[in-house]
Amino acid sequence: MSINEATLPAERVNTSAWRRSRLGAFLSQPVSWVFVIVSSIIAFLSLYPTFFLFYGSLTDAPLGVPGNFTLQNYVRAYSDPEAYSLMLNSFIFGIGSAGLSVIFALALAWITIRTDAPFRRLFELTAIIPNILPPMLVSISWVMLCNPSNGLINGVFVKLFGMEKGPFNIYSMTGLIYVEALILTPLAFLIIAAAMKSMDPSLEESAKTLGSNEFGVMRRITFPLLRPAILAAATLNFVRAVESFDTPAIIALPARIEVFTTKIWREALGSFPTNHNLAATYGVGILFIALIFVYLYRRFTSQVESFSTVTGKGFRPHQIELGPWRYAAAGVASLLLILLVVLPILVLALVAILPYYHVPTWQTWQNLTMSHFEYVWATPRVHKAFLNSLLLAFISATACMILASLASYITVRTKLAGRGIIEGLVFIPWAFPGTAMALGLLWAYVDFPIPVYATIWIILIAYITRFLPYGLRAVTSTIIQVHKELEEASIVCGAGFMATFRRILIPMMRPGVMAGWIILMTIFLREFSATLFLYSPGSEPLGPLLYFLYLDGMRGRVAAIGLVISVISVVLIAIAQRYSRWDTK
Amino acid sequence: MLKLTQWVVLTLSFALAGSTSLGQTPQLIEAAKKDGKVIIYGSLEGDTVDAIIQSFKKKTGIEAEYWRASATKVMDRAMSEFRAGKPIADAIIAADNVMRLMQKEGYFQKYDSPTNADYPKEVIDPNLGPRYRNVVVGIVYNKNGLKASEYPKSLDDLGKPMYKGKIVMPDPTQHTTTTQWLASLYKIMGKEKSEKFMRDLAANKPIWVESLLPSAERVASGETPVAITYVKYAYIHGKKGAPVDYVREPKLIGDASYIALAAKAPRVNAGKAFVDYFLDDESMNTMAKLGEFVNRKGVLPPLPGADKIGFVEMDDLSTKDFADKKKEYTQIFLR
Repeated sequence: MSINEATLPAERVNTSAWRRSRLGAFLSQPVSWVFVIVSSIIAFLSLYPTFFLFYGSLTDAPLGVPGNFTLQNYVRAYSDPEAYSLMLNSFIFGIGSAGLSVIFALALAWITIRTDAPFRRLFELTAIIPNILPPMLVSISWVMLCNPSNGLINGVFVKLFGMEKGPFNIYSMTGLIYVEALILTPLAFLIIAAAMKSMDPSLEESAKTLGSNEFGVMRRITFPLLRPAILAAATLNFVRAVESFDTPAIIALPARIEVFTTKIWREALGSFPTNHNLAATYGVGILFIALIFVYLYRRFTSQVESFSTVTGKGFRPHQIELGPWRYAAAGVASLLLILLVVLPILVLALVAILPYYHVPTWQTWQNLTMSHFEYVWATPRVHKAFLNSLLLAFISATACMILASLASYITVRTKLAGRGIIEGLVFIPWAFPGTAMALGLLWAYVDFPIPVYATIWIILIAYITRFLPYGLRAVTSTIIQVHKELEEASIVCGAGFMATFRRILIPMMRPGVMAGWIILMTIFLREFSATLFLYSPGSEPLGPLLYFLYLDGMRGRVAAIGLVISVISVVLIAIAQRYSRWDTK
Repeated sequence: MLKLTQWVVLTLSFALAGSTSLGQTPQLIEAAKKDGKVIIYGSLEGDTVDAIIQSFKKKTGIEAEYWRASATKVMDRAMSEFRAGKPIADAIIAADNVMRLMQKEGYFQKYDSPTNADYPKEVIDPNLGPRYRNVVVGIVYNKNGLKASEYPKSLDDLGKPMYKGKIVMPDPTQHTTTTQWLASLYKIMGKEKSEKFMRDLAANKPIWVESLLPSAERVASGETPVAITYVKYAYIHGKKGAPVDYVREPKLIGDASYIALAAKAPRVNAGKAFVDYFLDDESMNTMAKLGEFVNRKGVLPPLPGADKIGFVEMDDLSTKDFADKKKEYTQIFLR
């Protein structure tokens, strides 16, 4: 006993000794150290910039300048009756596009993974392609296809059926939801497909043995088991839709529909005088809505054990033989892929060879040009942007997935006190719109002791901070389904935490990890809302390059670069799938 | 108001002389080389600046890096860094209103470039230097989207019911240049007429877009027949084959742009060297060829009829003016 302890009352000494022994026991476990390190990194990444955003909403001066405490920003933002109508619009838009994207993804995943429909491997690969197209290009392509005055699809209807005007109007809430759903479908597909591949066939076989038909098995067993993945995909896509700006900027504004992000842009960031404080205040509103959904998600998935379907007994899902219906299934998948991939890519390819952006006429075919591709080939600025983006995407996606795997393990598998905080922390920056988040990051790191401001590294920090939830959700929906008995067997055989993590969990989580890595790579290759604020001269990645070419009216160049990004991403995806053996063996 | 033709006649000799010299001392270039590079923030189109940067590097051997954003965001970022004591940009290129607001905050230092002499006195601001270009707002239309008899002849025409649903323009409550343009219409239409025009225009339910460029694009693509946008787009899209033209009016309202040296420029000599080169003959000709209304003597855009356009500068609005106009235009155009 030390001298100090000798002078203390016995009760306090005991309490202190008890605490030390508890702390000692806690720190003697390698998993505790992992928890401390991971939670510290995540806490710093998310709380530091978030603090500046909250501070911004409660002060009367621009971020970075000392100001006075005020609630005036909240009064101004939420005393406006319009705020509630645009909240409703955002909610309808978010629910609609998230719901529709999950329906599309579920149908596509079920057909490609669980049935014997022809060409399913091809469908599976191509389903990911829209995720690599810049969303603004998808929106532009649908405007070209379905605008009411000279949209190509409307034109076909008018010609074929002698209608006065075409049946589709992309400038509507339905159009907005539809386009955003198409943009969000690949993300939902990746998450749902990863979970579907890891499903235990024994439960389905038991149901069949008990007399249930294929439809009954699907309704009573398959889809309930997929619930965590479906909820994960829906939650992610809801928040992603609510914070999305690209599609509303192109479709909602001409349709005179106001959503939260267009309001932030119009009131606070895009027009003069800018008001960072008001932007932060609206950001807090979106955060609040997003957090409600996170809470609901946590409740839905609280009974983790009930979703454990991957056990040590083997887990390859069986294939459903559809008989003659397999052609109908292939037809449904083909239709979805025409909407998701073929039409947007065709329009993009068309825009890339048009001398200027317009609906083609007979005269157009005489004036086609390859000059936009020549620009991509010959311009050093484009080459540098590709290099910057590939470097950023690779490092950020890898770092994100390492952090996400560890965080996911701690959240789902351990009983460590405070583990739920990790997930909460990760969701905070994700719930903010990209632009507001970027403002927080800019200010958080402008005075940071390590000089990352105005370097490529601040973008890397931004990517990890903002997109970690995508990786976390992808891994969590897989890890939830891996039964503990495999780990327990490993521990019984004498393996430690790190060995079990490396030999059992990583291989079992591989579909989720690779799905997350692919999602992140493709997002980072085209991200612009946060990058736009953070990149500096000399570190321009593809997102801002595309955005400024678009801003300068160079849609042909944007389309050409978009197509090149797509090709690179397809190659990356193919390599990643092969490496992960995602759908083999 | 000054006709562009007058500048041509008066200053052809200056233009010829200007093309032979950079107007920079070898000492400045040497000092600039020691700075290593120059960093510029601006809202000027990337292609234009890329071309200027390439020839600047060729002539001086100095690297230049450009960060591009909208004028509002350029101000946001530059001022944030300035206030935080971590300035990065050496020079700023942006629209008049933004430059004046930054100047009031002490962001710029006064620099009299040797090339200033090649600009008319009327366009030289005592603090910001020459107003190097004007961006002129008018009506651009698609010739295939309307019958010849329906082509608009003047701004007044856009108030007629026949154009209902056929006009595209930036949302005036969001787009600052459009706010300024509407607020300055009284200068060419008179107060009462301009107010009536705004009400009639609102009744025709214009289609809102984010800025003046998508407005022009929708006309070029044939999606909407008439746009309120920069008239230079009639030349830019026309050159690519789009069937577009613009309404020739004797007076058109436009905005001005400046380049200025940052007060806390980390590479002040490189900044000066770039400002000199930017305002010089070669880069101004590059800009003019892209359809810009450049103010340097003797340099004209290739837009047909450009020499007959009477440029009327938009009013600068204060922060309060912008806020008030936003409220007013919300009532007129969005309710």
